[in-house]
Amino acid sequence: MTTNPSIIETDVLVVGAGPTGLYGAYYAGFRGLRTVLVDVLPQVGGQVMALYPEKQIRDVAALPSIRGRDFVTALEEQAAAFAPQYLLGKQALRLDAGATGTTVRLDDGTEVRAGAVVLTAGIGTPNPRPLATGEEWLGTALSYFVVDPEAHRDQDVVIVGGGDSALDWADALAPIARSITLVHRRAHFRGHAATLARVQLNDTTTVVTDTEVTALDGDLAAGRLEKVTLRHSNGEEHVVATDHVIAALGFISDIGPLRDWGLDLRGRSIAVDRAMRTNLPRVYAAGDVADYDGKVKLMSVGFGEVALAMNHVAVELDPDLTLFPGHSTEES
Amino acid sequence: MSYVIGPGCIDELDRSCIEVCPVDCIYIGDRKSYINGTECIDCGACEVECPVSAIVVDRVAKKDDTLSAFMQDSVDFFEKPLPGRDAPLGDPGGATAIGEVGVDTPMVADHPAT
Repeated sequence: MTTNPSIIETDVLVVGAGPTGLYGAYYAGFRGLRTVLVDVLPQVGGQVMALYPEKQIRDVAALPSIRGRDFVTALEEQAAAFAPQYLLGKQALRLDAGATGTTVRLDDGTEVRAGAVVLTAGIGTPNPRPLATGEEWLGTALSYFVVDPEAHRDQDVVIVGGGDSALDWADALAPIARSITLVHRRAHFRGHAATLARVQLNDTTTVVTDTEVTALDGDLAAGRLEKVTLRHSNGEEHVVATDHVIAALGFISDIGPLRDWGLDLRGRSIAVDRAMRTNLPRVYAAGDVADYDGKVKLMSVGFGEVALAMNHVAVELDPDLTLFPGHSTEES
Repeated sequence: MSYVIGPGCIDELDRSCIEVCPVDCIYIGDRKSYINGTECIDCGACEVECPVSAIVVDRVAKKDDTLSAFMQDSVDFFEKPLPGRDAPLGDPGGATAIGEVGVDTPMVADHPAT
């Protein structure tokens, strides 16, 4: 097999597009650096979007109260002033850090050559929690994300889960899919009540609670699913004609490939100095993944850390620059 | 900071919390589950999921005598050898990988049936 991996060159690569990474992209741009952000999730926003997109955030300066989703949109908008390049749904697998630059290889073969790398990986790589049955259909008729809603046009879709992702996808696919069966193991959904109300009003959507998926059946070799068996907690079973199953059962995160990069780790965090440098040349860390004595894991702290990191990156890449950036008001 | 599972979990062991924990830091004993405070990231996903409202944040738990005893008990679950074991559990870095522990702390084991 021959591959011709695409090569991307940039000043700084940010690994992790959560709040700290997004603000880092803005800040790097402000310091005149070209920025690439990579994230294993198909969306930006990290934990905020994965865990509490509908909750109000009240502990970020100048924002008395803002919905998680809107907060992420604002961060994205702020970063967009400097047009960072996003590589979403891709995982950083390997890092080679040298005195003159770094190379990071992604799971799709892309090679990112960067003057410096800033790791804003938060709690690490989120691994989708697997469905208890039917793992053999993964990649054909079972998926953990909706990457392209159009892929489900005119399909009978079963969505499994009780959180915001399950509800959001049921809502988004309703006008596209032929039918949707939303299956949750418990009586109550933990996702946003307003989304659930909307989902329940869709004519083509059936909401089934206290129920689990117990079997996926069809022509496995052809990747053609035919039916799914559902079992209610009272023991009753019924079968639903199904083309595709989307399991939105949340995530278990771990530090992932970073563990093998030769970083000085403290548990699931990376040790940094006061300039947010790791033990590897030209590799910095900021936000929840970065650790030092007295650390407090808050977004406010992460924003300060990533600004600190980017100022040091700017000087490391161009020693003629000063560490202090000047004031952002000067450009207005 | 961390969340703590109180006495409401004893003999209930619903496990809904385990399904939503993004860092897999809730460990199953025999009659109850225990949150590893070192591994917990304080996200609060489990608190709302518990059908018997057994999970509280440590800031609240420490103001209540019963709950603060369970806070200390959760520390002991990981830091002291459990009955029948030579070494403490420590911070295994994920509950799925080690499976159900199957043993409780003496305090939980001796707790009256609920």
